[in-house]
Amino acid sequence: MGKNANSDGVKKKEQSSVGKFFSWLGNDLKEIVLTFTEGDWKSRVSYLIMGFGPIMRKQFLRGFAFLAMEVLFVLYMVGFGWHYLKDVGTLGTVARVLNDNGTYTYNDDSFLILLYSILTIIVILAFILVWRMNLRENRNEEKLLKDGKPFPTVKQDLHSLLDSNFDKTLLTLPVLGIFIFTVLPIIFMICVAFTDYDKNHQPPTNLFSWVGLENFKNLFTFGSTTAGASTFGSTFLIVLSWTLIWAFFATFLTYFCGMGVAIMINKKGIKFKKLWRTILVMTIAVPQFVSLLYVGKMFANDGLINSYLMKWGWISERIPFWSDPVLSKIAIIVVNLWVGIPYTMLIMTGLLMNIPEDLYESARIDGANGLQMFKSITLPYMFFVTGPFLLTQFTGNINNFNIIYLLNQGGPTSLALTNKAGYTDLLVTWLYKMTVNDTNYRMAAVLGIAVFVVVAGISLVVYNMLPSVKDEEGFQ
Amino acid sequence: MKKKVLSTLLAAAMVFSLTACGGKDEGTADNTNNTPASQEAPAENNDAEAPAESNDAEAPADAEAPADIDYGSGTITIWVAENVVDFTQTKCTEFFEANPAMAGYTVTVEPVGEGDAAGNMITDVEGGADIFGFAQDQITRLVSSGALCPVVGDNASFVDTQNDAGAASAAKVGDMTYAYPMTSDNGYFLYYDKSVVTDPTSLEKIVADCEAAGKSFYFEINSGWYQPAFFFATGCTLTYDTDDNGNFTACNIDYASDKGLVALKEITEFQSSSAFQNGSNASNATNFAAIVSGTWDADVIKGVFGDNYACAKLPSFEGSDGNTYQLSGFGGFKLLGIKPQTDEGKLAVCHALAQFLTNTDTQLARYQAVAWGPSNLTAQQDAAVQADEALSALAEQLANTIPQGNYPGDYWTLATALGDDVIAGTLSTSSSDEDLMTALENFQQTCISYAQ
Amino acid sequence: MKSMKTKRAIGNGITYVFLIVLSIIWLFPFVCLFLQSFRSYNENGGGMVEYLLPKTFSLDSYKWLFSGESQFVRWYMNTLIIAIFVSILQTIVVLCVSYALSRMRFKGRTFLMRFWLILGMFPGFLTMICLYFLLKQFGLTQEGAIPGLILISVASSGMGYYVTKGYFDTIPRALDEAARIDGASRARVFFTMIIPMSKPIIIYAALVAFMNPWCDYVFASYVAFGHSKSYNVAVAMQRWLWTGDYQGYFTRFCAGGILIAIPVTILFMCLQKYYVEGVTGGAVKG
Repeated sequence: MGKNANSDGVKKKEQSSVGKFFSWLGNDLKEIVLTFTEGDWKSRVSYLIMGFGPIMRKQFLRGFAFLAMEVLFVLYMVGFGWHYLKDVGTLGTVARVLNDNGTYTYNDDSFLILLYSILTIIVILAFILVWRMNLRENRNEEKLLKDGKPFPTVKQDLHSLLDSNFDKTLLTLPVLGIFIFTVLPIIFMICVAFTDYDKNHQPPTNLFSWVGLENFKNLFTFGSTTAGASTFGSTFLIVLSWTLIWAFFATFLTYFCGMGVAIMINKKGIKFKKLWRTILVMTIAVPQFVSLLYVGKMFANDGLINSYLMKWGWISERIPFWSDPVLSKIAIIVVNLWVGIPYTMLIMTGLLMNIPEDLYESARIDGANGLQMFKSITLPYMFFVTGPFLLTQFTGNINNFNIIYLLNQGGPTSLALTNKAGYTDLLVTWLYKMTVNDTNYRMAAVLGIAVFVVVAGISLVVYNMLPSVKDEEGFQ
Repeated sequence: MKKKVLSTLLAAAMVFSLTACGGKDEGTADNTNNTPASQEAPAENNDAEAPAESNDAEAPADAEAPADIDYGSGTITIWVAENVVDFTQTKCTEFFEANPAMAGYTVTVEPVGEGDAAGNMITDVEGGADIFGFAQDQITRLVSSGALCPVVGDNASFVDTQNDAGAASAAKVGDMTYAYPMTSDNGYFLYYDKSVVTDPTSLEKIVADCEAAGKSFYFEINSGWYQPAFFFATGCTLTYDTDDNGNFTACNIDYASDKGLVALKEITEFQSSSAFQNGSNASNATNFAAIVSGTWDADVIKGVFGDNYACAKLPSFEGSDGNTYQLSGFGGFKLLGIKPQTDEGKLAVCHALAQFLTNTDTQLARYQAVAWGPSNLTAQQDAAVQADEALSALAEQLANTIPQGNYPGDYWTLATALGDDVIAGTLSTSSSDEDLMTALENFQQTCISYAQ
Repeated sequence: MKSMKTKRAIGNGITYVFLIVLSIIWLFPFVCLFLQSFRSYNENGGGMVEYLLPKTFSLDSYKWLFSGESQFVRWYMNTLIIAIFVSILQTIVVLCVSYALSRMRFKGRTFLMRFWLILGMFPGFLTMICLYFLLKQFGLTQEGAIPGLILISVASSGMGYYVTKGYFDTIPRALDEAARIDGASRARVFFTMIIPMSKPIIIYAALVAFMNPWCDYVFASYVAFGHSKSYNVAVAMQRWLWTGDYQGYFTRFCAGGILIAIPVTILFMCLQKYYVEGVTGGAVKG
């Protein structure tokens, strides 16, 4: 029931936001038309020559800014954008050519064609936005003229950037950075999932092209191939299930163990609290590539741990920490405790001290013992406060590359798995192997999308269940 | 609100700076394309280079590099393994001293290991080095992704005539030569501790000695390079046919046979010993009395074994069918490749330089500096090379190996998977023959599937 | 009452034992690392060994790191430069974004926050190859790898505003309002009021940003692309354990590891208070 209600709610929200979008679009189009029909000739010329209206009305800064944008846009499209955009359908037709003298000439580069086509499309969208702003500017100016009000001066314009428009000053660069270095690459990689970009189609030597849903079909082929080997789909399921199992144990084990350690350290009468905390926190401070690489070697078949256990006669055969599928999973989760407990402990320490002491007092008066108090006061309180933390930990663990890769590179592999995957590979480490070792970008892109779907799905479900995140303004 | 204009302006400026960069890049690409044309223009510095001709006798490279050509100028990046960086740098200086006509180029030598070099070259040919060292197993991967420039004409005959037959064929994909052989020591053999191992000719005895002494025997059975030692020993084959472009056309394999079964059983048997350790990196190995590795580990192992250091060809083993088999394996080579160039002058310099770095003298000097076994026929006859303990063990072992041909990258992954299954105990001494056979069948079919 | 006391004493005793065991487990790898870094190069040729205490102590590995044979000092400086720049620039970006999102209500604000949340759900490794080629277009790979790495870390740092914004949210808005009534502009409020009040969170943000580059080997090795002068320590050193080319580098790895760990750890310990504050606040706010 609850679930249904939830998904209904989501649907409704979606519908309403889609509806909102269309009504907004409708209004916007109406306004564009109105600006033309109701506007003077200066505004009408501005439809073609941006900034014409403001310039004629002596709003030179704005006018020339608009004009400059248009000129820049045209230059960009003619000199650069169109050159790539025209090839986006084929992603290039002429690959590298060997000349008679033994040199090579590089021609089309599918990578750049795709990348710059996406960029150009974004630029076009941005230009449309600017064009729209140009129209609005004209309409506003006409309105100000009609009302007999003065135009804002340049000084006022500039000052507003430090005051009412301060957000634009603050956000322009960060948003732009995210656009170029996060959004653009993500769109690019999503597109790659629909191409055959892999080791056999590596620009600029070879070209890659669109293949539609082929890669996703590959992801969903289960069972085994005719040769008896594992298919991509079945390996994907194995990796995915371990990813989820790992994330679950990694999150909740460190959560409870970290809480336990925090309670111990904060117990009344325990001395040297700072010392204990400092010792544990070493694992956060020391860079992981040092500590985890070393710990990985320690647990190796021929490593320190096995050798000493043998020497002391505690074991007669070496424990295959990294070469046994099951053991290596356990070992990774245990080593993760070593990394994760201090972090959780720090958080818990802060939170435990926030629990109102009188709650415990009254419980004590009612005759509750330590365990009961823990169960009925500490735990519920902690769960309530740390809900979002648990969620971010969980999704963070799905993407926890370092611990897996630095410890045993996702091994051991097996004939039962394909494409370099090992039994302890997470989706991200598998993605990494495909990108770096195999240059199999097409499937790496598909895996990346799969990770997104998993993370987004879990976040959406859990987020809607969390009590503390409903109202963002409520925090303030 | 209206100040969106300004922020958008800023945005546009950024987009344009991006564009400008892209545009610039194109520009430089055009330039490099144009340079060959400029070669037709008479070279002004003709006269200055005349003395260079006197060097012809020394370096064979000079023979094909007439001094009156304008080679242009630029930088050449070379990627080689860490321990030969300084050596290569010195040799390059020598090269340019001997060939002033080419001295317009400056060389940067970077320590990029053979594995990384191939990976990087495939990721981004343009950003990669002009000349790079790599192990032979990478050659098809490099050719098919367009990271190697063919070696033709006189250069190809240099490769064919100067090097041993195995090395020359290792530098070929299909019938086309793609690289200059640098060493012919990329094989493996047995290092052992004399005080522990009494009889290095028998696998069973080595294992027994190690077990008794509580020491380890390292053999990297989950590597596609070491693992075939067992399979080839029992007479299995695994080779691929390729065309000139590095595409695999056929796979010749018979692992899924009685011979293969004997080999796999021996691997599981070996693995079940408490002395067995998987690995071949002497630096990461602990407490060992025997290790199967190559010449590159000689120094470290000497440091570990001290006076008890010894090496020999691989041992033989008694198979489950009662026969005795001599462990085989791959004999491989290290090669020096040139990436496809856009500039004719630079291409010529790269070829001349690569030749110089793989000619008799350089190979000998490299042996003296870092003990890499030469592939050059003349250098192989050198007294010091002949007397080298590790190299002679290798030579003895090489008689029992097959020259390593071309293998698809996926083969190495698959072999690791098979080895991991043995180490993890999925395939073990207690597995039934049927189970082992199923695994071999799976392995064989997958191998074949790579050649389509 | 007495039994209560003994009970508590026993409880505390057990806790102490537990804490001591934990401390040993937690410190053990670092002690090993430390001891191994002092092993003589002649002992086992610098490779791995199966025992803890070196038979001969020496400073071989440290000497080697600082000798001309190794570029360790250069790599160390590279990492330090990256860390310092990233730390400063990233903190500035995060403060700007957090202030705008916490205090200002503008069109597209919730859209922006949702959009960034969604972007954050894509794994970072997905875009690695694209970022590499993008940086290459700017000429920021190989020789330019260090500015390139700084640019990449700073460019997308705006999305990590959660903790700082959470902190800003706890500063009463009434303070802003009062200042604004007195005629202070938004910018003035930000620079003269909010920033001075946010010292703990600024230190936290800078500390976290400072520590990240020390562990970045995946993308950094992509961007350096074989150009050894622009390696950072992580890129250079992970090879020593993983690549067969580097024989006998194990003790050097340990020594290098110690040299990296000590300053970072000391810095961390000094600023631990702020880290705890930030981490706790961040966890609750999500």
